[in-house]
Formats: sequence, C-alpha cells, structure tokens
Amino acid sequence: MKEELEKSSQSTTSSFQVFFIHVCCGVALAVGFWVARNVYSINLISDPTTTLRLIWAFEFPVVILLFSCCRQKPEKCSYLKTIARGLLGLPIGALLNALGAFALGAPVGLQYLEKTVSWSLLMSSFTFVPTACVYGSCWTDWHRIFACTKPKGPLDFMLCLPAHGAVIGAWFGAWPMPLDWERPWQDWPICVSYGAMAGYVVGMVGSIGLALTHTGGKQLKAE
Amino acid sequence: MRGWWRFGKWTALIMFLHIIAVLIFTKGFLLTRTELPHSSHCSDLSQSPCHSSSCWTKPAVDRLIIIVLDALRFDFVAPSSFFEQKQPWMDRLKVLQRMALENPSSAKIFKAIADPPTTSLQRLKGLTTGALPTFIDVGNSFGAPAIVEDNFIKQLIQNGKRVVMMGDDTWTQLFPNHFNESYPYPSFNVKDLDTVDNGCIEHLLPSLHQQDWDVLIAHFLGVDHAGHIYGVDSTPMIEKLEQYNVVLEKVIEELQNQSGPGKLHENSLLVVMGDHGQTLNGDHGGGSPEEVETSIFAMSFKDLPSLPSEFVSSSCEPSKNMCISSIPQLDFAVTVSSLLGVPFPFGSIGRVNPELYALAVGTWNLDDNRTWNNQDETKLEEWLQNYVNVICTNSWQVKRYIDVYSASSVIGFSSEDLFHISDLYAKAEENRSNSSFYKNESSNTSLPVLKRQIGAYFEFLSYVAELARSKWTEFNLKMMGTGIGIMLLSLYCHILAIRKLNKSYGGSLLLSRDSGISFGLLLASFTVLMRASSLLSNSYILKEGKVANFLLATTGIVTLRFSFMKNKMLLEAATFLLLAFIFRIAIEVGLNKQAATSQFMSASSSWMLGISISESLWTYMAEIVPILALIILGYFLYKAISSYRWGIAKCVIMGTIFSYLLIALHWISESNVLDLAHFLKGFGKNYIPRTIYSIGLGQLLLLAFVPLFSKEETSNYKGSLFVKMISILSACSSTVIILQGKQGPLVALGSLLAGYCMMRLQGIEQHTLRGAEVISILDPLPILQWSLLAVCLFFATGHWCAFDGLRYGAAFIGFDDFVLVPQAILLTIDTFGFSHILSVLGLPLFVAFSSMPNQTEHRSLFSIKLFWIFMVYGLITATTVTATIVCVAIQRRHLMVWGLFAPKFVFDVVGLILTDVLIFVASIYYF
Repeated sequence: MKEELEKSSQSTTSSFQVFFIHVCCGVALAVGFWVARNVYSINLISDPTTTLRLIWAFEFPVVILLFSCCRQKPEKCSYLKTIARGLLGLPIGALLNALGAFALGAPVGLQYLEKTVSWSLLMSSFTFVPTACVYGSCWTDWHRIFACTKPKGPLDFMLCLPAHGAVIGAWFGAWPMPLDWERPWQDWPICVSYGAMAGYVVGMVGSIGLALTHTGGKQLKAE
Repeated sequence: MRGWWRFGKWTALIMFLHIIAVLIFTKGFLLTRTELPHSSHCSDLSQSPCHSSSCWTKPAVDRLIIIVLDALRFDFVAPSSFFEQKQPWMDRLKVLQRMALENPSSAKIFKAIADPPTTSLQRLKGLTTGALPTFIDVGNSFGAPAIVEDNFIKQLIQNGKRVVMMGDDTWTQLFPNHFNESYPYPSFNVKDLDTVDNGCIEHLLPSLHQQDWDVLIAHFLGVDHAGHIYGVDSTPMIEKLEQYNVVLEKVIEELQNQSGPGKLHENSLLVVMGDHGQTLNGDHGGGSPEEVETSIFAMSFKDLPSLPSEFVSSSCEPSKNMCISSIPQLDFAVTVSSLLGVPFPFGSIGRVNPELYALAVGTWNLDDNRTWNNQDETKLEEWLQNYVNVICTNSWQVKRYIDVYSASSVIGFSSEDLFHISDLYAKAEENRSNSSFYKNESSNTSLPVLKRQIGAYFEFLSYVAELARSKWTEFNLKMMGTGIGIMLLSLYCHILAIRKLNKSYGGSLLLSRDSGISFGLLLASFTVLMRASSLLSNSYILKEGKVANFLLATTGIVTLRFSFMKNKMLLEAATFLLLAFIFRIAIEVGLNKQAATSQFMSASSSWMLGISISESLWTYMAEIVPILALIILGYFLYKAISSYRWGIAKCVIMGTIFSYLLIALHWISESNVLDLAHFLKGFGKNYIPRTIYSIGLGQLLLLAFVPLFSKEETSNYKGSLFVKMISILSACSSTVIILQGKQGPLVALGSLLAGYCMMRLQGIEQHTLRGAEVISILDPLPILQWSLLAVCLFFATGHWCAFDGLRYGAAFIGFDDFVLVPQAILLTIDTFGFSHILSVLGLPLFVAFSSMPNQTEHRSLFSIKLFWIFMVYGLITATTVTATIVCVAIQRRHLMVWGLFAPKFVFDVVGLILTDVLIFVASIYYF
C-alpha cells in the first residue's frame, strides 16, 4: 500500500488516494471519539484535556504516516525524514494556532494551559502537519496554499481545504462561548474543538468532492 | 464652502434623520416616571374629606407574617382541578388548599397579577410602594437600588412598628436601615437551592414565639433557583415545594395554637405570596401570563363571615366548593397598610381590596346561605360604612398623588386624562355626601347607596390604575416602529451618499472600470453584520468588548494573511495583532470590574496570574510608566510637526506639550512615591487640571477661528491635512488623557501605533507586487478596523454600557463641588473621549498618509476620499446602532431589558449622535 501510494504521488495524486487518506483521517477521528467514550468513558465535556489528547493520539499518527506518503520529491527525502519534519512541524503549528487563539480571546491562564496545549496540538495536526509532511519547508508552496489560497491539483486541495475548514470551523465554534446558557460545553476549548472538527470534516468532504471532479475532468480531457 | 456643500449636505441630512429617529423611538420606548420624595403622614388625613378614627384607618390586625415564596406560580398553589390537566408540580402545597377549603371565610387563595417587569427587585419595589416601577424612575440614583419613594416598610417604621426580615438579601439592599432584625442570605448563587431557605426556616419558627416584632417578612428563594436551574417540571422543584408545605404546616399549626384570646397571635394575619411567576423553563421578567400570574394566600386566625357576592370577583370550582378571586399586586401595599392602620404609601395607586380586607376585618357575622335578618343587615351596613371610609381615604390618597405627580413631573398625564380623573373623583365624592345624608334617615335605603358609592370609588380607582399602567408599563409600538423606519431610511441615505462618492471618485480619476466588490468589502460587511446580529443577545451585549476585539483580531489575522500574500509589511500586521491582544487583556480587566457591580455577571478572575512582584516595584512602575508614555507622546508630536512650517499648528502643539508636562506634574503631585509631592499638593490639585482644560479650549478656538482670517492656499494638500489633524488631535488629547487617568497615555500610544499599522496596511489586498500605486480602490476594511478599535478602546479604558460604568471620578478632576454643566461635559468627554471624539477626528489618517499623488489637480480627490471615509465610518456606527435599536425593540419584554438593553440603547444612541455631530464638524474643519 505504502509503495503504491508513493509511486503515484510522484506524478499526481489520484482521487482514490485523496479519498483513502481522508477516509482514514476521518476514521481516526471517529475511533478517537469512540475509544474516549467507550473505553475510558470520558468525553470532551467531562474531561476535555484527556479526550483531546486521546483524539490527537489517534489522529496525529494517521495524519503523519499517510501524508508523508504523498511527500514531494520522494527521491530526495526519505520516508523517515518526512516523518521527522512532520514531527518538527507539530510544535510550530501548535504554537501558531495557540497564538491565533490568544489573539482572538482564548483564556490565558495557567489553569487553561493544559487544555490549550492539547487543543493546539490537535489543531496543528489538522492544519500544519499535513503540509509540513508534504512540502517541508518550501516557502513558495506554503505561500501558494495558505496565503494566496491558490491550490492546484488534488494534493493541494487535500492540504488546503481541511486546514481552512478546521480554522473557520473553530472560529465559528467560538461564537457560542459568551452566551449565558451555562452549559458545560461552552467552556474553552470544547465548542471550539467541536467547531474545528466539524469544519475539518466538511473540508475533507469538499476536498474529496473537488478531487473527484478534478480528476474526472482530466480523464475526460485525456480521452 | 460650496465645495463642502456638495457632499457635506449628506452629513447634515443624516445627522438630522438620526436625531429625529432617536427622539421618536425614545419617546415610545423609554418609559419614564418621576419618583416623588413625599411621604404620607398620619396628620395628612385632616385634609381629606373622609371620616377617620385614628391614623388613616382603624388597625384590624396586630401582627402580620408575610412569607414570600420567590417565583411562586399560580398553579403551585391553586388546586389542580382549576386546570385542564394535573401536572406533577401541582397540589404540592396541600396545607394552603386545605385551609382555604376548610375555613373559606378566614383563609383564601387569590390569584395575584403582577405587573411586568417580573424580576424580584422590581416586584418587591412594586409590592412595597404600590406603584409601577419603570426604567427611568427619575430621582433614583442609578447605582444604589435602595428605595427612596414612600413605601409600606417606611410607613411601618414611621409608625413605630417593628419589622423582622429573613431570607433574600434583596430586601436589605432595598431597605438598608429599616429592619429591627434581619437575617439576610445572599441571593446571588442561583445554583444553591438551600442556603436561603434553610436560613429562613432556622429563624422563622423561633421568631413566631417572640414578642419583639409586629411584621415578619420571610423570603424563600429555593423555588426560583430550582426553576432557573432545573425548570418547573423537575424533581428538585417538587422537593422544594414539599419542603415548603411542611414548613407552612408548622407555621400554621404554631399560629393556630397561639391564636386564643390573650395569646400571642390572637389577632395575626398570615400572608403567603409569590412576587412573580415563572415559565416552565424557570424564566421570568417578561409579561407572559405564566410570569405575571402568582398567588397570594391569606389567613386570619379568627372565625369570620364572608362578603356579599357583589364584591367577589372569583372563578369558582363548584365541585370543591372553593372560589379563587383575582387581585392585582398593585393593591397589596395599600391593603396591608389599611389592615395595620398605617398611612398608605404616597405613590401607591392600588385600591384596598375588599376580599383581602374582609379576611381580617370581620365586623359582622353571617353566612352566605342564610337569609339576612335585620340584625345582620345592620352589621353588614356597619362593615360597609367602615369600608367606605377606607376606600374614601384610599381614593383621596390616589387623587392627591396624581395631582402632585402631574404638577411636579416633566412628563405627566395629558390634561384630558386629568380632567376625566377629576370628574370621576368628584362624582364619587358627591355620592358620598349624598349617602351620609341618607344615612341619618333610614338604614334600609343606605345599603344600596353605600354599594353604589363603593362602586363609584372603584370606578375612579380602576381608571387611574389603568391609565397609569398604559403610561408606565406599555410601550408605544407605533412610535418605536416609526423610529426604526427613519433609522432604516437614514441607512439608505448613507448608502446612497457612499455610492455617489464612489462614482465621483472613479470619475475624477477617469477610471472606466468599477471597483466592484472586493474581498475587503465582503469581509467588512460580514463583520458588521456579525456584530450587529450579536446585539440581539444579552450575553453578547455584556461581553461586547470581547466580541469587538474578536472581530478586530479576525480582521487583523486576515490582513496578516494579505501581508503574507504580498510578502510585505509583515511587521505592521504582526504588531497590529499584538496590539489587539493587549487591548483584549485591558478589556478583560474592565470586564472584571464590571462583574463586581453587575447583577447579571459573575466575576471570573480565572485568567489573572496573581502578580507577585514585590509591591513597591509594582507601584513604582505604575507611577513611572504613564509618565514615560506621556513623554513619548510629546516627543512624537514634536517630531511630527518639526518638519512643517505652519504657525498656528506649531503653537497648538507646543501648548499640548506644555499640557502634557502639567499632567505629569499633576500625577506626580498625586502620588506618594516622591516627597516633593507635599508642597505641590495644595496648589496643583485643582489648578493644574483647570489650566489644562483652558489650554485645550483655547487651542480649539484658535484652530476654529484663525483659518477664517488667514486664508492661505497650500499646494501641499496632504501635508496641510496632516498638520490639521495632528493639531486638533493634540488639542483634544490633553483633556482626554487627564480625564482618563494614568491609563490615558498608554491607551493613546497604543491607538496611535494601531492607527499607524492600519494606515500602512490599508489597501494591501490590492497592492501589486511591484509597488503600491493602486489608488483606485476605496477599501472599507481599515475603516472597519478603526471603528472596531474605537469600540475596543471604549471597553479597554474601563467603560461599559451601564450607568454604573460611568467613571464618576473623572467628573471631579479639577473640581471639588458638583456643578451640573461642567461635570456633565467632563463625564461625556471621559466616556466618549477615545472611542468617539479622538476616533472620528483621527479618521483623516487614512487620507493623509495614503499613497495618492500629491498634486493640486487631485485636490478634489482628497476631499472625496475624506468624505467617503467619514461616510463609511458613520455607516458602520449607524448600522450597529440601528441593530441595537431593533434588538431593543424585539427584546422589550426581556428579563434584562431595563438592566442591560436599555442602558446599551442609551449609550449607543448618545454615541451615534455624538459621532454624527463630530463628523459634521470635522468635515467642515478638514475641508
């Protein structure tokens, strides 16, 4: 499977690959939730830190392993090296996400530190790590995907859409927080995490859809 | 001037429309009632035409036990057979139903109708004063809730009755020094169902054995809290009700045991009542039937006869042989006063309810079923005569109140209504004199006469109550609708004006292409809409500063992304975000301050990292940093002006720098860090601020009048605009800074830096990679940011939209005594200084530094862009305020409408008109 993935990623990423990777990521997310609920009998509300870590523990390996298969220039960069840069990207992305959250009003207190760290690690695996694995430190590619939002090809869509979806979802997820419903899920970072995950899933679905139409169009052209 | 008129007329038109709209809406929305300081006295009765024995009325009960069960729904008390369906929460207070069933003449259940707003505080106020509380009870100090109007508790104290209170601490807030003994418990924690109740129970039963009180008030909160947390249909609610049932059983048993002749409670009256109802979700505050319908159970411990049926307005349940009548809560204060024999509260507009009154005042003895014999009839007549006296006094008191009120209040009743009131009263009085004439002749004829006369009084009293209700508790929807309509019209004018400006801007640049819809425009509209719709919820209004900051940071992140896209000005974008973060911290400090006084917020100092730096260093820093910031500000001003040669401006700037020095001196003299403070103290305290104010005023006058006389044409339009802006900003800044206190220079520096970043970043979306020569685009994004920043500044400087959010201390900088006009001006400058005055005056920043060609032929371009910026800024403000107005209209029956929405409305509307005026003035000044 791995070789097959690597082989094809040299040229273009097929819609099947996109579908496979996204489904794996989605399944990892679901498994994370399932394990938290049924094995540890916790959820985001009762124990946000542990649950976020648990979900991250399922999501992050899947993300890093799968996206590393799609790395650019695989001849120059070994699989292990890709994983290493993905691991390096994790804290950087987490820091950026956390800074963004702070600027937008996330609570800055020592008692929130754990929650914020767990949340930003998860956000980093949604947004930063995939691109770090695929493109490494290539500025132009980062610039193209995140600053100009001009993705070309299914691979770019695969990186761009879920990441934007997660961020926008988290942004919307923050809106219920000030309401006076006094529900436990209004606390930082519960509803933001829900929003992020929902946005991530929507982004993945969009990415799959685009990849399908995109490759479909190409095949038509080729014929 | 003609050039100005081309676009300036729009600013004038919009200002005019806004003022009209606001005036009309306010007239329909803000219900006002003047609180009168008068109170009733025993001796007043000599002025009335009524008979009286002792003081106003003959006391009928000696001791009164009032048990208030907060948020007591009507169906908690009434038997379930009164309702279509039996619900689990019904029939839980069985002891009340049993008593009412067993002794229908001495115990009775009433349906009590409260008047909105149905919040505990307003209801207690209404119950004790017998009036209708409104938003602006003029005369009341906005901060402290203590009742200044004449009320039932005050009358008790005045007449030597001893009052004991236990339970909800709202009573001690309302009546700080009235109670002989009080056992208040905090009502703050909604999640705590038991503390208040257990405290009440602990003190209630022992108190019943004691002799040292005349009136006992016990206020239970458990049902209210259980409703708020769990809703009505829940186990905790039923448990609470059953607990109350047990308590009430004990109380009644105790009272019955001691009700024998000569015993402690021989002549006592027990009243169990709710202050308001609640919905099934446990909410209250509005005017829905569930919320206003509560219950009063009254029981006296004598065996009494019942009333003739003319006075009974009850709905009966024939199967159970039980009747429940309805009684407005308005009547409570006056009825209880008449029973205890104390003067009626001055401002009460209720009437002495015959049924409640009859429960305790039984002077005759007869059964409904028996035919009346002659003796009974005499007794009935005696009773009626007594009641006529009471109701006569009652009517006289209400008439007196209406007369005094309309004489002393600004917004009184219409003369037509007053005439009708006088007419009704005169009729009733005429009846009375006739009846007393008849009385001497024959007792047989007097019964119907008495009844007719009582009827006449009732007509008068109910007319007054109805009139007062429509005047004080009903919104004028037509006027509110008209106001909103005019606001929407003004928005349309705004958009029209902006489109015109867009067109002529494109025209003067000889551009054929339309700028179209840019991403910046989309984002700006989206943000404004988000902010506008957020005002619909009370939570977002409470945290408005945070919401504005959230949106500001969002736009900041978007600009950061743009600057990444263009690979330039990264530093500016990052600085801007950092500033947003700093303002956010300041806003949270402000929110904490607000939480300390607000009844709607709980303090959450969770994010605070207990600062444990050595105290002295900290205070030292707090003294030094603002002064350093001031020096930096002065330096900036000096640098900014040094390259230009413009006489007046230099003069003004120098004056400001001198003012800054004075401010620094003032602060040093106030602080205790330096010892030289002592010798400055006496001199500096008032004279330094006053000097600063007068320098500021002088600078403004200079700037206003000198250009009229020296008309100099400059080719460097950009430069002269900049100089004008700097000089007027500096002229205003010194006053604003001294009023804001030590945070002032820091905030000023922060907003200066933020403004610089925004100015640099404006239009970055359109920048090409080669250079920034694109001038064809008018980008609303930086103006939106500027306006959001202004909102953030309002909250970051420790203000919030409530009357206790005004920084009253600022009004007394430089003054010791209260003089209305200067203090009001200073308070306005402090409140709106950064967020409105400096923000609007600083708007030309985006033109003065823009990358437009600086040639004479482009002069009109400058003025068009200037107007455009003012217009867009005005549109953003107006849209938000329109949203506030619409939301206030929608939420007019909301629980927090007076606590939260109405103050927000007042602040927003004042801010809007100030912005309009400033835009008008600024557009003349800068043109």
